[in-house]
Amino acid sequence: MDRNVIVEKLRDIFVRILEHEEFDIKDELSAADVNGWDSLSHMLIVGEVEDTFSIKFKFRELNKMKNLGDMIEIINSKVDL
Amino acid sequence: MFNNNVLQKFVDICEYHKYRNAFCISKTYYTYNELGECISRIRKELQSQTFIVKNVGLIENDDLETYASIFALWLEGLAYVPLSPEAPIDRNKDIINQAGITTILDSSINDTFLEYNLIKSSELEKTTLDLEVKEVSENDLAYLLFTSGTTGRPKGVPISRYNLNSFVDAYDDLDVEITYEDKCLQMFNLTFDLSIISYLIPLLHGACVYTIPKTEIKYSYVFELLDESGISITMMVPSMLQYLRPYFEEMNFPNMKYSLFCGEALDLELINEWSSCVPNAIIINTYGPTEHTIICSSYNYIGDKSLTCNGVLSIGESLGDSELIIVDDNDNLVVNGEKGELCLTGGQLNPGYWNNEEKNKEAFFNLEIDGKIKRMYRTGDLCFMNEDGFIMYLGRIDFQTKIQGFRVELSEIEFHAKAFLSSINAVAIAIENKIGNNEIGLVIENEKIDITELLDYLKSKLPSYMIPTRFSFLPVFPNNINGKIDRKILINNFI
Repeated sequence: MDRNVIVEKLRDIFVRILEHEEFDIKDELSAADVNGWDSLSHMLIVGEVEDTFSIKFKFRELNKMKNLGDMIEIINSKVDL
Repeated sequence: MFNNNVLQKFVDICEYHKYRNAFCISKTYYTYNELGECISRIRKELQSQTFIVKNVGLIENDDLETYASIFALWLEGLAYVPLSPEAPIDRNKDIINQAGITTILDSSINDTFLEYNLIKSSELEKTTLDLEVKEVSENDLAYLLFTSGTTGRPKGVPISRYNLNSFVDAYDDLDVEITYEDKCLQMFNLTFDLSIISYLIPLLHGACVYTIPKTEIKYSYVFELLDESGISITMMVPSMLQYLRPYFEEMNFPNMKYSLFCGEALDLELINEWSSCVPNAIIINTYGPTEHTIICSSYNYIGDKSLTCNGVLSIGESLGDSELIIVDDNDNLVVNGEKGELCLTGGQLNPGYWNNEEKNKEAFFNLEIDGKIKRMYRTGDLCFMNEDGFIMYLGRIDFQTKIQGFRVELSEIEFHAKAFLSSINAVAIAIENKIGNNEIGLVIENEKIDITELLDYLKSKLPSYMIPTRFSFLPVFPNNINGKIDRKILINNFI
């Protein structure tokens, strides 16, 4: 899948769950930078990402996601399979 | 005595295990010797103050200085009042004023509390080791925590040194064998008293305490620690398991020796699934309100045959010298099997709310048991005792609820929401979400309105776990048979 498509879909998910757009979508973006990105919204975001891309994360993969760039890479590796 | 049983024991551990690790914070290890040195620096600074009020504010950061500050204060005969840097400044100021705080310890580089006598604990100079225990009364406080209050103001729960010592004694009854080889999880904010069981008990045994960096997603980091660090003892709130549940199949933690729970009702079904992730662990459900110093009863899980009521694990039998009794509406003891309010007495029972006579009259009362008058605390929990003396938990009597393990008075949220909405009524309710955790829903008695400003206002008044996550609107609230707003029907608004 085209990386830009993934990024756009992720932006939609973030806006829907976090209910604001006060963040810049970039690879370095992490939970600490974004208002409202806590345990609960993280869980909801992960669920939405799984549904949107029809994939399932393993827990160890979730732990490796330290920022948005990591998330895009893991999604990319899964949708290409 | 707190001084011998807790403080001197800790000081001896610092000497005996000085080359062992006391903390693992953000993947960095700190030895007991480093902890002792850090304590010494902070206490020296405390000693140099010309005047100090016994309640000292402690800004909660995830670092060695924050934990060292607690022991520095205790060795100096002082008490800590945890303040969360993430909480709204108005709420912190209210706590500071109520507790009469003039001195604040802060390890961060922020200057938020400059108007107070601010001690920057990370900028102190090296000094000689000084872990001498100062003699003070057992009635002096060890800490003062502020919990959600019904009138929109946080209420203070002071815990004396005598109370905390009674708790340490009671902990022995759990029969948790903890040694210097153990690795223990500390996943709680210091404003929540489960933090104390999570750092103090390990440090009294030379074990290592693993904390959670504030920048991390908590449940994800907890799993990482369990998976990679070989954590052997944990205390968690059941909500944490709800987050981990979708991934249970991938989890196997053979190093786990004791898996303790507290703070919320524990479902048997959930714990049955968890037990296969921790095949070698003893699983213990514990119970206790902040007013009765952390925990006062426990029940050891025994698989499918565990005692339950409505699918919720029993809270078991009393620990230490705590007495757990159940009374009816007229404060008469009920017979076994009959429902009533759980009330507590014993050495862990705190001196009452901080400067709050009105609340004290409601929550504490005297009761004659076996010819002796005893001071009791009303927990607000509906329970019954079975024939064998095990206590079964049925739920809250009032509208207090638990969100992420924090105790929340829904009326405090309503208070602030109504203050903003002026003449419009609003009701806060706890709703169970998809993954089985509680969320707060706010129902507003009005046509649909934009809630952006209301949310901003609530965020300026309340900590994040108390901010409603769901909103709905009703032109008129339904009433129940007693003429009260029917909260049960309002819940349907969110389904």
